[in-house]
Amino acid sequence: MSTPTAQQIVPTKRTIAVLGNPNVGKTTLFNRIAGIRAKTANFPGTTQDARVAHVRLNQEHADIESVLIDLPGIYSLHLDLSESKVCADVLAGTAAPAGEESHIPDALLVVIDATNLMRNLSIVGESLAKRLPTVVAVNLIDAARRRSIHIDPDKLSECLGCPVVLCSARTGEGIEELTTTLSKARVPDRSAPTDQLAIERWAQDIYSAVSMPNEHTGDDQFTDRLDRAFTHPVLGLISFAAVMTGFFWVIFKLAAYPMGWIDLWISAVGGWVGSIIPPGPVHDLMVNGIFAGVGATVVFVPQICLLFFLLALLEGTGYLARAAFVIDRAMRPFGLSGHAFVPLLSSHACAIPGIMSTRAIPDRRDRLATILVAPFMSCTARIPVYVLLTTILFPNRPSMQALAFTACYIVGATAGLLTSLLYRRTILRGKSRPMALELPSYRIPDLKSALLLTFDRGMVFLKKAGTLILAISIILWWLGSYPHAKPVDEAVALQAQSESIADPAQAQRLIDQAQTIQARADAEHSFLSRIGSTIQPIFAPLGYDRQLTVGVLASFAAREVFVSTMAVQVAGSDNVEDDTVLDSIANAKRDDGSLVFTAATSWSLLTFYVLASLCLATSVITAKETRSWKWSLLQFGWMTFVAYTSALIVYQTLSAIGA
Amino acid sequence: MQTNTPSAHKATRKAVPLTQLVRGQRGRIDCTDAESDDCSVLRAMGLRPDASIQMCRLGEPCIVSLTGACGGGCRIGLAKGIASRVMVHIDE
Repeated sequence: MSTPTAQQIVPTKRTIAVLGNPNVGKTTLFNRIAGIRAKTANFPGTTQDARVAHVRLNQEHADIESVLIDLPGIYSLHLDLSESKVCADVLAGTAAPAGEESHIPDALLVVIDATNLMRNLSIVGESLAKRLPTVVAVNLIDAARRRSIHIDPDKLSECLGCPVVLCSARTGEGIEELTTTLSKARVPDRSAPTDQLAIERWAQDIYSAVSMPNEHTGDDQFTDRLDRAFTHPVLGLISFAAVMTGFFWVIFKLAAYPMGWIDLWISAVGGWVGSIIPPGPVHDLMVNGIFAGVGATVVFVPQICLLFFLLALLEGTGYLARAAFVIDRAMRPFGLSGHAFVPLLSSHACAIPGIMSTRAIPDRRDRLATILVAPFMSCTARIPVYVLLTTILFPNRPSMQALAFTACYIVGATAGLLTSLLYRRTILRGKSRPMALELPSYRIPDLKSALLLTFDRGMVFLKKAGTLILAISIILWWLGSYPHAKPVDEAVALQAQSESIADPAQAQRLIDQAQTIQARADAEHSFLSRIGSTIQPIFAPLGYDRQLTVGVLASFAAREVFVSTMAVQVAGSDNVEDDTVLDSIANAKRDDGSLVFTAATSWSLLTFYVLASLCLATSVITAKETRSWKWSLLQFGWMTFVAYTSALIVYQTLSAIGA
Repeated sequence: MQTNTPSAHKATRKAVPLTQLVRGQRGRIDCTDAESDDCSVLRAMGLRPDASIQMCRLGEPCIVSLTGACGGGCRIGLAKGIASRVMVHIDE
């Protein structure tokens, strides 16, 4: 698209790229203009994304739709960093966020920090060289006033040759003027040097001409004290532990309520839908396929939303940049950076948001290593399996159960760190970018921006993961449900017996028993069961029979499915009617009549579940985030290898000593 | 990569690594003796030759404040490894 001039017909749609340094309040300003109308879109083939909003900037130009693109924060268009390259490509018209047409933007909005004017002028200089209609927004003007920094907007506008608006995205000051000015943006009548050194001198000259800084130190002493505490080797760790404990307490505890409500709501709607659809394949698909699949995905939304909301708040305070340095010291020996800590800790709730939050890691190798090892962290979906196996291993010994439970977490985290070390010394070899971070001022976080980001991330999760997971859940449901077995004689007899019993409670018990027996027969007859029988020899050295193999296969959709799959398979295999589901599983028999869960098998299975990447959703998200199934397959393959080998060693060793 | 600009300070005083400054001490960046990419990033972040800085925290991380040019509002944290490669002239 050509650059518009006064002679041309006024277009009905204009693309405005929003550019600026990190930490200048660019996204807050973007949100102030765009509000909830924005959506996140990736740049195809990269790990970068941008917020995009279709807005009408003012009444005067209501017929013109403006497409605002909030580009990643960069220090320069010419750095060898993916975010810089993406911004340079957008300005050159060779890249655009997914869903938008690639063309040279019709205008540029360069957002700069009033409290850090000279450095910010460099990116303005680089933008002016593009010869596009440009407006410069001098944000954080309220903070500059508090520091007694005076900026002359008219003089700055004269020096730059384009309109300059002083504004504060936080208070809303100057925003209306900015939108009006943006709709009338014109090509600057001055240019800046193109050489880096010359741009620096140009920036310094302009800075000297338009600004009167005051060496204000009040805030700095306060910032100094906080910085020293938050980055102190001991105090820093203590404060980090306190912040993270609160952070994850909120995620685990508070999210449990909405998760419970969603679960109940989905069960209720599923039950209602089930009640109005007559029994048959459509009924089973709706209730056991679609509602179970959607429920298993949607139930994680509160946890994901809370994680991103709290992360946005923490980031908004300026604390996270300090914490990254504290953790960097501990993570470096394993080839991970301080940025990896929050994603890895988040992965203990669920690897999906953990992997999604690695976008904040600037170094590509650091980010890949973090994504690849995130599923080693024990997520909440593993908990039901850990509970089942530790209870079987240590019946009526809660202290030993707790010890084994803790050991699972430690083994998982250790395997993750060692794997990272291995990757960083082989396929991800190379020096990491040393930590050099701008430490933003301590601020009260912007609630609106945090809420918008949370809404956005929640929708991204539902759209990206939900559709794929749902589709594959349906496939797994079909494989696990079809073909049906013929009616089992015992079930038919129980059903007939129930009809002749007067006591409704006793009759219902017989009907339930009949349905359980039939369900078990169906499960044994299903495609999944046949696949289980076929590949069982692979798992035989680990001590798994056909039933356990099916349990492992089924849990690829979601780990916690293992318990319910085992429950369906073993139900009715013992004749003790008062047994709980847990007891039924613990006492389950193999086809030869021996116990399924011997000590050796249970330890082997526990080891396998701690280390294996039995999660389809994680594989899908890894492929999405790395833009390649190669990394997803490597993650799955390596974790399966580690899990299989470890479980094999555990089973064979314990079997040899007679456990 | 080394980056240099003419500076009156260099003629009279020897540049020392940033890590040799004490807390509160001020100086001016002389050059950055880091890998080419790191050097470009530091420079874009504001640690460019002749930039005025003040040491806020020594050790790991080393925290400096870019003074004057930005009203004292910009702080940069540096891992010790890279901080030791930034050379500065200490202000008297």
